[in-house]
Amino acid sequence: MNAPDRYERFVVPEGTKKVSYERDTKIINAASFTIEREDHTVGNVLRMQLHRDPNVLFAGYKLPHPLQYKIIARIHTTSQSSPMQAYNQAINDLDKELNYLKEQFEAEVKKHSTTMEY
Amino acid sequence: MDVCYQRFPKVKIREMKDDYLKFELRETDASMANALRRVMIAEVPTLAIDLVEIEVNSSVLNDEFIAHRLGLIPLTSDNAMEMRFARDCDACDGDGQCEFCSIEFTLSARCTDDQTLDVTSAELRSSDPAMCCPVDQILRSASDSGGYDGSEQRGITIVKLRRGQELRLRAIARKGIGKDHAKWSPAATVTFMYEPQIHINEDLMETLTYEQKVEWIESSPTKVLGMDPNTHQVVVLDPEAYTYDDEVIKKAEAMGKPGLVEIYAKEDSFIFTVESTGAIKAYQLVINAIDILKQKLDAVRLSEDTEESLDQFRELGAHLGGGGN
Ligand SMILES: [Zn+2]
Repeated sequence: MNAPDRYERFVVPEGTKKVSYERDTKIINAASFTIEREDHTVGNVLRMQLHRDPNVLFAGYKLPHPLQYKIIARIHTTSQSSPMQAYNQAINDLDKELNYLKEQFEAEVKKHSTTMEY
Repeated sequence: MDVCYQRFPKVKIREMKDDYLKFELRETDASMANALRRVMIAEVPTLAIDLVEIEVNSSVLNDEFIAHRLGLIPLTSDNAMEMRFARDCDACDGDGQCEFCSIEFTLSARCTDDQTLDVTSAELRSSDPAMCCPVDQILRSASDSGGYDGSEQRGITIVKLRRGQELRLRAIARKGIGKDHAKWSPAATVTFMYEPQIHINEDLMETLTYEQKVEWIESSPTKVLGMDPNTHQVVVLDPEAYTYDDEVIKKAEAMGKPGLVEIYAKEDSFIFTVESTGAIKAYQLVINAIDILKQKLDAVRLSEDTEESLDQFRELGAHLGGGGN
């Protein structure tokens, strides 16, 4: 009866920001990013990409509760970078990887479509 | 800022059919493989019946039972990526009944003789069959020319009617995703496995008798290992048949030959199996998943106004750093 609407899982409510961040008050170059209406799909891929950045000292994410449709990512970097820079860099690199993957995949599909006989 | 920690994944398709795809994905990690799998199952959009107006229903099934069954019928959804979600369609004000965000169906069936009448998805009439119709209708028209056995394509049973019973309704199909309701998922199954690497210690293997070798080979529940009939050497027949069950490793230990075999999962190589419901072609499902994942990542970029506070942050950082000296 009081179950949340299904669309609550992926529609960002009006007046809420998709992404927001908060600096750590004690540690320089550390911040928490709150990403609304996302889950492990984006959280884990982002975390693993951040781990490839040598300026990232720590990167992790959590899904605080299954009925809170958001993830919180925490990033700590060296003074050579900043959490926001590392965050954007990770997204850009993932975007490039996906572009490359799409090209590779489409080329393979083409190869297999032409060898099909009818 | 020219640094880049991007990867360059490789793809090799092994088998491709309209509703089935097997491919290798290499030189990336499990997070990417899993994100693609999750998006294929829950976030690639399709069309499915979402609103049903029943005019007449004198069948044995109640209205909502039939509405639910209609929702689960896979519909051809090649244009779903370009369509609008009803909730953000401004042409019909979120009403969800205009050409940009919906397709109308009608169904009318009545049993007039003593034979039970099967009402199937074949009876659903689309307002635009080229754009969207039940997937089995496409299969049927393909089999008319292709020479498939027609009896295999009878459509999906919705309800059975006896003499005098009738079903008449209007239905609206809308765009949606599997995360909302499983009826919108284009994926029947999407799985990936790590490619196993199996190394047999040949020196240790030579210490085994013929009978011991046979016993060891047969300890695997799947046909991973075999024996060369001429040389009597144990060979790996099919590494991918291995289910990570550890049986051959345990058997080697029990035989007093620990280290006879070493098996590990290659952490950057995945073998994907994709099966589609027929709503979209299997290869298109993968391409759409890549596009959707790109869109999702794009949506979580820090926006212009959040970037501004980045400078503030740097200033503050410099401030704090300066204060510490
Ligand atoms: Zn509309």
